[in-house]
Amino acid sequence: MAFDFNSLLAFIIFGVTIGVVYGIVALGISLIYSGLDIVHFAHGEMYMFGAFFGLVLAHNVGVPYPVALVGAMILTALLGMAVERVFYRRLTRAGGGYTVAGMGMIICGFGMSVALVNAAYFFFGAEAEPFRANLDYIPRLTFPGDINVPESYVLTAIISVLLMAGLHYFLRHTKTGLAVRAVAHNKDIAYLMGVNVPLMISLIFGLACGLAAAAGVLIGPMQSVQVEMGYLMLMKAFAAAVVGGFGSLPGAIVGGIMVGIFENLGAAYISASHKDIYAFLLLILVLMFKPSGLFGVEAKVKA
Amino acid sequence: MLEVKDVHAGYGNLKILRGINMNVPTGGIVTLLGGNGTGKSTLLKAISGLIPLMQGDVFFNGVNISNMKPHQRMRLGLVQVTQAKEAYPAMTVEENLVLGAYTRRDREGTKADLEKVYEFFPVLRERRKQLSGTLSGGEVQMLVIGRGLMAAPKMLMLDEPSAALAPKVVLEIFANINRIAKSGVTILVVEQNVRMALILAQYGYIIRDGVIMMQGEADNLISDPAVKDSFLGGSVADTSKALRN
Ligand SMILES: Nc1ncnc2c1ncn2[C@@H]1O[C@H](COP(=O)(O)OP(=O)(O)OP(=O)(O)O)[C@@H](O)[C@H]1O
Ligand SMILES: [Mg+2]
Repeated sequence: MAFDFNSLLAFIIFGVTIGVVYGIVALGISLIYSGLDIVHFAHGEMYMFGAFFGLVLAHNVGVPYPVALVGAMILTALLGMAVERVFYRRLTRAGGGYTVAGMGMIICGFGMSVALVNAAYFFFGAEAEPFRANLDYIPRLTFPGDINVPESYVLTAIISVLLMAGLHYFLRHTKTGLAVRAVAHNKDIAYLMGVNVPLMISLIFGLACGLAAAAGVLIGPMQSVQVEMGYLMLMKAFAAAVVGGFGSLPGAIVGGIMVGIFENLGAAYISASHKDIYAFLLLILVLMFKPSGLFGVEAKVKA
Repeated sequence: MLEVKDVHAGYGNLKILRGINMNVPTGGIVTLLGGNGTGKSTLLKAISGLIPLMQGDVFFNGVNISNMKPHQRMRLGLVQVTQAKEAYPAMTVEENLVLGAYTRRDREGTKADLEKVYEFFPVLRERRKQLSGTLSGGEVQMLVIGRGLMAAPKMLMLDEPSAALAPKVVLEIFANINRIAKSGVTILVVEQNVRMALILAQYGYIIRDGVIMMQGEADNLISDPAVKDSFLGGSVADTSKALRN
């Protein structure tokens, strides 16, 4: 295949779009990690449930796509908060991170992942469902050199940027955002400043799961929605989080974009049938040469 | 203002405090003294609610707060400044102070209090846009006290505000604690700098191995031979002899 600059550009554009979605899921994983000191292994299932909620809302209930998106985010946020409240709270209260409870938390996350997958089989069935969204009102972008970017990709890019900007604004410029950051850094001090810490933890969980749901609904129209879709997304989001630096929010986005580009280029120029391997190749490279990730915080300062 | 009645508390199954009784009257300064690891910080945590009580009760202005969460106790005006001098390093000085006022709704009062904190500690005003991770030890101590003040406390509990600071800075901080008390905030201060603390405070408690060993008017404690022996370290000659042995 002769080198063609236009197709390279196209691969990069698609890589970035899909990468931002990885980034959004990674953002949630990072939020939970910095807020609770736990790595949430059931986060892929939140993404899957989000996609199904969006599908049910759009197809069965028949609401327009944007409403389905917001609805799925809210429903998944509630699901995440319920799971946290009922199953994780006892363990996280005993301390996350490197404590024994932290280990229990990891196992609990895996168990939750399996449980949610099975619940999804029960409710949604094993069939992969195409997500037909009416996106006619979104313009199809055409780049110079006949690169056509489909509506769903354009929409994904726009919504992702909106979500990230919204999250940034919330964390940096609102009082509740300040409290969330305070809880992420040190729960005791946040408590002493009068922050309702358990409530903030619920909020962090809800936010993170809502973001995962948005990713699910955004990916839906590109691929089809099925119960097992969470595993691979979790792995890629982990790769994104590690590449960007675990716990760093900007890092999650940049890591996601890098994973997306790397994966698309690998699929295009090396072998398309091994598409899912490239993310981990990048992960291993980063771990070898810069284990703390691109935006990594060397170690969390804790007391 | 604060009444601690037969409090037992600790970590997990490990009991540190074994029956503490204590009384902090409204207005003025009370100090809690004791060596390393005797349970001073643990007592403050039990009062502010960071660790649960195993037995006993804590009353604040007559209300039994034993079963309240820390943020609920704080909203009553009982504010603790922790020992580790933790500011949030990734937040600016002013963000830290604003966080102190997290529960307040009165904008005007909050603004006035921010001014007051900057007046107490002018260096904080100079550094207000700076990340607090870049402050010196003394400045961080001023910041965490200031952050406590922003919560408009009725009672402020300070954990070793003089630890690891140069004498001149200690003097400045203690002078400000005195001004804060004068402005109507009751203060409970944990200290290892026994001499300074007993000069500052009106009443003192001495804790050892989780029980109150001694208590009394600060003036009486400072001249008490037992206190002198175990805390004030005797004369320079004694210290130098002990060091060389
Ligand atoms: N989180 C914890 N878990 C278990 N034990 C603890 C914990 N924190 C403190 N301890 C133990 O409780 C005892 C009392 O500690 P505390 O921090 O109250 O001492 P302190 O009087 O404040 O000492 P210092 O002057 O050194 O600060 C110590 O033996 C300490 O090892
Ligand atoms: Mg202490």
